[in-house]
Amino acid sequence: MDTLAFLAQGFAVAVEPQHLFLALVGCALGTLIGSLPGLGPVNGVALMIPLTFNFGLAPTAALILLVSIYYGCMYGGRISSILLNIPGDEPAMMTTLDGHPMARQGLGGKALGLSGVASFVGATVATIGLTLFAPLLVGVAIQFGPAEYFALFMLAFATIGGVTSGSLSKSFIAACLGLLLGTVGLDSVSSVPRYTFGWFEIYDGIDFIVALVGLFAISECLLFLEDTRHSDKPTLKLGSALPGMRSAWQCRSTITRSSFIGFIAGVLPGAGAALGSFLSYTLEKRWLGRHGKFGQGDPRGVAAPEAGNNAAAGGALIPMLSLGIPGSGTTAILLAMLLSMNITPGPLLFEDQPEMVWGLVAALFIGNVMLLLLNIPLVGLFARVLRAPGWFLMPMVVMVAFVGIYSLSNSAFDLYMMLAFGVLGYILRKLEIPTVPVVLGLLLGGQMEYNLRRAMSISSGDWDILWSSGISVGIYAFAATLIVAGLLFNWLVKQSR
Amino acid sequence: MSETDVQPERISGVVGDRIAGAVLLVLAVAAWSYSFNFTAGFMQPVGPGVFPRLVCVPLGVISLYLILRPGFNQRWPHRAALIRQGCALALLTSYGAFLEPWGFLPASLVTVILLIRLFGARWKPALVCGAVLTVGLYGLFEFALGMPLPNMPGLDW
Repeated sequence: MDTLAFLAQGFAVAVEPQHLFLALVGCALGTLIGSLPGLGPVNGVALMIPLTFNFGLAPTAALILLVSIYYGCMYGGRISSILLNIPGDEPAMMTTLDGHPMARQGLGGKALGLSGVASFVGATVATIGLTLFAPLLVGVAIQFGPAEYFALFMLAFATIGGVTSGSLSKSFIAACLGLLLGTVGLDSVSSVPRYTFGWFEIYDGIDFIVALVGLFAISECLLFLEDTRHSDKPTLKLGSALPGMRSAWQCRSTITRSSFIGFIAGVLPGAGAALGSFLSYTLEKRWLGRHGKFGQGDPRGVAAPEAGNNAAAGGALIPMLSLGIPGSGTTAILLAMLLSMNITPGPLLFEDQPEMVWGLVAALFIGNVMLLLLNIPLVGLFARVLRAPGWFLMPMVVMVAFVGIYSLSNSAFDLYMMLAFGVLGYILRKLEIPTVPVVLGLLLGGQMEYNLRRAMSISSGDWDILWSSGISVGIYAFAATLIVAGLLFNWLVKQSR
Repeated sequence: MSETDVQPERISGVVGDRIAGAVLLVLAVAAWSYSFNFTAGFMQPVGPGVFPRLVCVPLGVISLYLILRPGFNQRWPHRAALIRQGCALALLTSYGAFLEPWGFLPASLVTVILLIRLFGARWKPALVCGAVLTVGLYGLFEFALGMPLPNMPGLDW
């Protein structure tokens, strides 16, 4: 078993004292950020990326820190869903359905404990799946040429509608906008400046960290400014988290089922965590609907979406790590983190830097255990963060964004760029055009174009090369199937309402 | 992604989506025609202008679709909210401009206090929290992380 040997190596890297400490710090910090009301995991992680650069860590250490923050944010997001009925991101929406009623009955602690265990099981199942299946996918992907990669990018963008719940055409618009923004700067092949209009600051292209922080964090603040009277937060009695453990044992079959459903939903490109939590909740409701009080605070209604959501988030790491193609909004952020550290996920990463990949996987396992240990006893502490007033939180977010971005380049230009992206993100959100595909386009555009041009120079200008191999035809067919399936699924959901 | 998703205040996007579609259509056409200025290098079957043009085609087509079949929008902000947002943007833009000439501490202090006021707090908590936040961030970056922030003029240490 090659994989096991690599994984053991990865654990050896991850349990070094410095790395363990960073994982602990990251998990705690991430949970804290994730539980900030209205900020949400994606915004939180986006905000932390520029800050993490300033620690001056080695790549593996920085990776462990960022991954722990990312996982912590995913955990923390459920706290505001359950206690305040404010989901931090789309997948957390299903958790509010039964989680908030439980909190209103004074069982908030129990719901948080239960969801903590469910998240842990879901994430662990997915991480085991990642360990088993990612090398298999890498084995296939290693045979990919530039034409196949181009097809893969087409697949990623064709299925982007599944990532976001909004309208399909608006997701495509967002993706095209991102791809177009990605071409700004010096062309990597011919060094011709494109759409720079003489601004030297953007010759290197648009820094996606600047775009990310602007699109997510700054636009969130602008959204918050619409109505500053957010102060009426009900303080609910929390109760102890320990009954949640017993409750989790009672829900074990729900958690197991949901973890597997979520995992499969996560592996499918474009499906993502939202589908994972949605599917596991609805299936569980249909399965047990008559015997439960779904929607009124059924513990299984908390366990199912949390297990499904975290399993999907882990499953989405498989296409992201082995192909370099993110399956969901949050994995897109993780991809941004990796790319910003000059780590390009894909089959070559497994070949060239196995210690990096398996160190990351080991960090996921360890982070999971840490989060469980942190969350059960300390959940009351994190819940207290929810009482921080918005007039303090939001200016803090703005300042952290400004200082973080400024410290990256020491130029005021990047600050203006970030503000511009904040306004763009705000307008897009008002138009219900999702912002995640914009980031994806910006992230993947360069690679997509590079592979297209390499394929074309191999065929000396013959476009037929793009669909000449069986693999690429298969990928295009798969993309078409997923689009049709997505449209059908949307139609069915509409019919059942 | 935000609270507005929980209780969606959705309105018809007939106006908003059509304006957005028109702007994006113009952008697609402009980017398309501008891309012909990118001169292809020697021995390149696909020059630097091809990929932008490939992206502009679907962008333009879907923008046209958006004009013809507009969807939904979130409720647009009222005038008071627009003024607050405008003030925040103006404040942050001037922060970017004053950060280097004034130094981090004075520029941030003024910005944070005014920002907290904009977010709806009274003067007293704004002054206290603004000062705490500014000094805290300065300490974190300057001393804990070792990242030099712009100092006040004449005060170099």
